[in-house]
Amino acid sequence: MSAEKHPKLTAKDQWVVLKRLLQYIIPHKKSVIIALVLLVLTVAGSIVGPLIIQRFIDNHLSTMSFQKSAITNIAIVYIGIQVFMVFVSYFQLIRFQDIALKIIQQMRIDVFSKVQGLGMRYFDKTPAGSIVSRVTNDTEAIKEMFVSVIVTFLQAIFVIIGVYIALFSLDAKLAFISLLLLPLFLAVIVVYRRYSADFYQDIRERLSQLNAKIAESLSGMGMIQAFRQEDRLEAEFDDINEKHFRAGMRNIKFDSILLGPAIDLLYAGAIVFILGYFGFLSLASPVEVGILYVFTTLIGRLFQPVQQVMQRLSIFQQAMVAASRVFKLMDDPDMEPEQLDSNQSEILSGKIEFRDVSFSYDGQADVLKNISFTANAGETVALVGHTGSGKSSIINLLMRFYEYERGGIYIDDVSLKEYPKEELRKKTGLVLQDPFLFYGDIESNIRLHDKKMTSEEVRTAAEFVRANEFIEKLPDKYAQKVTERGSTFSSGQRQLVAFARTIATNPKILVLDEATANIDTETEVAIQSSLEKMRKGRTTIAIAHRLSTIQDAELILVLHKGEIVERGTHQELLMQKGLYHKMYLLQNNILEDVI
Amino acid sequence: MKVLVQLSWFFKQQKKQYLFGIAMLVFVSLLQLLPPKIIGIIVDDIAAGSLTAEGLTKWLVILAVAGILMYIARYYWRVMIFGSAVLLSKIMREKLFNHFTRMSPSFYQKRRVGDLMAHATNDIGAVQQTAGMGILTLVDSISTGGFVILTMAITINWKLTLIALIPLPFMIFLTSYYGKLLRKRFRFAQEAFSNLNDKTQESISGIKVIKTFGQKNEDIEDFTSLSTDVVSKNMRVAKVDALFDPTITGIFAISYILSFYFGTKLIIAGDMSIGDMVAFSTYLGLLVWPMLAFGFLFNIVERGNASYSRITELLSVAPEIKDVAGAIDRRPEGDLHFNIDEFKFPGDERAALHNVYFTLKRGETMGVVGKTGSGKTAILKLLLREFEGYKGSIVYGDKPINQYKQQRLRESIGYVPQDHFLFSTTLAENIAFTNPRIGTEKIHEAARLAHIHDDILGFTEGYGTIVGERGVSLSGGQKQRISIARALIMEPELLLLDDSLSAVDAKTEEAILQSLKQTRTGETTIITSHRLSALQHAHKIIVLHEGTIVEAGTHEELLEKNGRYKEMYDLQQLEVLVEQGGEE
Repeated sequence: MSAEKHPKLTAKDQWVVLKRLLQYIIPHKKSVIIALVLLVLTVAGSIVGPLIIQRFIDNHLSTMSFQKSAITNIAIVYIGIQVFMVFVSYFQLIRFQDIALKIIQQMRIDVFSKVQGLGMRYFDKTPAGSIVSRVTNDTEAIKEMFVSVIVTFLQAIFVIIGVYIALFSLDAKLAFISLLLLPLFLAVIVVYRRYSADFYQDIRERLSQLNAKIAESLSGMGMIQAFRQEDRLEAEFDDINEKHFRAGMRNIKFDSILLGPAIDLLYAGAIVFILGYFGFLSLASPVEVGILYVFTTLIGRLFQPVQQVMQRLSIFQQAMVAASRVFKLMDDPDMEPEQLDSNQSEILSGKIEFRDVSFSYDGQADVLKNISFTANAGETVALVGHTGSGKSSIINLLMRFYEYERGGIYIDDVSLKEYPKEELRKKTGLVLQDPFLFYGDIESNIRLHDKKMTSEEVRTAAEFVRANEFIEKLPDKYAQKVTERGSTFSSGQRQLVAFARTIATNPKILVLDEATANIDTETEVAIQSSLEKMRKGRTTIAIAHRLSTIQDAELILVLHKGEIVERGTHQELLMQKGLYHKMYLLQNNILEDVI
Repeated sequence: MKVLVQLSWFFKQQKKQYLFGIAMLVFVSLLQLLPPKIIGIIVDDIAAGSLTAEGLTKWLVILAVAGILMYIARYYWRVMIFGSAVLLSKIMREKLFNHFTRMSPSFYQKRRVGDLMAHATNDIGAVQQTAGMGILTLVDSISTGGFVILTMAITINWKLTLIALIPLPFMIFLTSYYGKLLRKRFRFAQEAFSNLNDKTQESISGIKVIKTFGQKNEDIEDFTSLSTDVVSKNMRVAKVDALFDPTITGIFAISYILSFYFGTKLIIAGDMSIGDMVAFSTYLGLLVWPMLAFGFLFNIVERGNASYSRITELLSVAPEIKDVAGAIDRRPEGDLHFNIDEFKFPGDERAALHNVYFTLKRGETMGVVGKTGSGKTAILKLLLREFEGYKGSIVYGDKPINQYKQQRLRESIGYVPQDHFLFSTTLAENIAFTNPRIGTEKIHEAARLAHIHDDILGFTEGYGTIVGERGVSLSGGQKQRISIARALIMEPELLLLDDSLSAVDAKTEEAILQSLKQTRTGETTIITSHRLSALQHAHKIIVLHEGTIVEAGTHEELLEKNGRYKEMYDLQQLEVLVEQGGEE
């Protein structure tokens, strides 16, 4: 649906892209060879058929000689070839489909794996919709190329070669003259390609604009009506609709001039020529009429593949553009931070230390400036501050979502970069502000992909965080379906499921981003008490939006524009009468009016 | 064929184009008959040695002229018939879109955007096919098929024609059957593809969770198994798709064999010439397309039928909320009297509101408090007249709101919804949504009031920044503030804020409410909120519980009442209160 700009590819770019695409064929070499042989057989069969009929006309019909054995032979061969052809062409078609589908599957898996390994930086700058497009829609466009374009092109080439071999064997002179058709074909194809690329591009863009407009208007209809903009939107839509219509009309006219009718016209010209050639030849010397028959038939066979090639040029063009986008993603260097594979360090107690860490997302503005603090094993460090103060960045670095260069982060006095990735993932648990639920059921959302986890463990985890209280009230309990990111659950309930999911892995280190919006009071009570339980015995780094939730933290860091401006316990910070105190007062403002 | 009758309004409208297009089609069908006949004649003349240079030239000129005429006729029928079909899709799309803009919210509540999109794309596509390819296959299979068969029967040999035609009905039957099967399997393949799409979407949205739990490989495995499903579903399509070519070749081969076998007998008997035989076999080749077309026709029309009736069904839905006869053409202003005895959302058992009565004087601000589902939003939706069918009345100024023209009522109301929907255009255009021609200064002023001006200047493109997928991604708080600016720019007499500040921090929220208070002195405002701090300056606060007012008063009065408001307030502030006591 997204109307993205299509990059213009030069011929050289296209060639590079095509070469890279064709490399995907290599693992299917054997299959491709079989398919090619089948294709050659299909083409050969379609040419031999008319040749046999020609023999029959010239050797038997014209001379009226009908020996039973010879006729039976011809009939048997003809029937045999036709039956054989039915099967060969079927298997050839299927074989090519099979190869194409498997190639695209491999490509999809490659892109998807690449996406999984990309760093968060990439996801920040790229809208999710366009990444999804790369993985599915663009590869689908490439599939069309493998399925229809390549086979059509090959078939056209084989047919042309096969037909000309047959023609040369029949009448070298006429066959030679008929070669003139090839540059004619080429000219039509080149002219067609030159203009059709723009026309197709135009109509595709218009269509995607049209659909985007409908989709957006439908989603925002409430707003459109509330603000009385129906007429304006209709006018805007009519305009896009009209432009799409004009593009469509232009396309039909263009195709009618250069595609089907033009090819038919060329065919008519070829027939006139062949008839004229044999006709005038026959005035001078006798001519075998069977040859005339086979010439007209075989020349006719040339036109269909040429027309098909032309029809598929736009698919080819589209596939090239799609492939160049896919390859661009595959070549993106923004990978997730690498771990040094030096040792097999293990996180034992979970002490966390930030030493003089500075960080910038864009290499220009620092979002963290000289951050230093220590969270001793089992302690809670709370991060407080306004949006954009750097709280989330601290968590992002600790979770290795982004690479840092300045300063150091240590767990149990070993650099964060030196732990194996698995160890970090196993020992640290993160709960996001907006907990993400996957399609599936409650149990699968707690277990995630961990196949070893028993249902018992899932339940224990849920009970530990008091998620069981709402889960057991659901009609299907743990088997309750979760659809569309869990939109049927309240954000508090989603938070509880995310808690259970994290607790089930029993991490040493807990990283929490407190949920802010729309949590009803009942769930909030459960959440608060679960948080307390979860934090016991675990080193916790918590972002707190409500100061009330972190008063028992061993250390509270007050961040402002990337710097720690105040630090201490709740009481100490209140006494300082600084920023924390102000934030605190602000949250209590209402209260002072009352009391 | 029902759909062709239903579309007769369009065929009448495009009568000239269709008649001309069909005439051209028939003309081409006739011209097509010439080449095989001429080839046959020339073959016979060559075989008999009776060919003359003049005779040959005559035939060749005729052939060339026929070729050129066919080119011209082919061009025109395409432009006429396919062009009309594109026009039809344009008209239908416009009808549908205009219809969508007239539908009440309850219409959208019952249907998903994706389904409505499917009507606007797939169904219209199928109808377009019917008006284009459908007409083509209908006319072409009858005219070309008919002419070719007649020519074969009359000018060559009717017995041989009958024999050669025997296998062809099987082809029509088979290709039509394949078509049906193909469509069914294609749907499954589409489903598999959309599952894969959903999976990818989900993995990308949940990438942080996957990374956190180190489940990259497991997720790739999951993806792989879904993509394998895509392959197998597509192979099932391919297996049917690949049947077309062999079936056509096979069946025509049988026809050829039959015609040569019996044709030879006729030649031996002297009933037919070799030239006739050659022409006959060329004619047979001309029958491939009309036979295929005949098979296609059924599928196209069947799809068109289903799609057209889905579209007409959609178009026949009447808007639930209409202007009454003689509705007042004046924008309402004045006090608001809200007296609802009972209101249920369509299809709901439970009443969303019952016994909700309040009066709001012009210029007053009212706060609405309550849990999710307590009826806060329902009040706003009724004020907007998004829903009707309640017991009671809502009087705005001197008349009930349903006496005003809908458009005029909405002129008075600025609405900021819970789910802030922004359009994928520039920030300036989003804010100036109600009046694209409004001055820049006004836009900036509204943005400043909503405390989003500075944020906007912070973007590289400033007010020209595009919102959404293709542009900058805004935080929830920024989106909310832009929605507020969008409502403020129309300087509404009645402003409805539906929990519109939930993602904004307390400081900004306070500042926005302050500037609203200062600028909107003579105007009415209703604010619903979870956060009680947003409402403390309101002239009046109502507390909703399960659809009815349980408490009402000012912030101070409500606190003194020691009821539900106080309880909610205490829960929000419990810990703070304890601490405050400790400090004092």
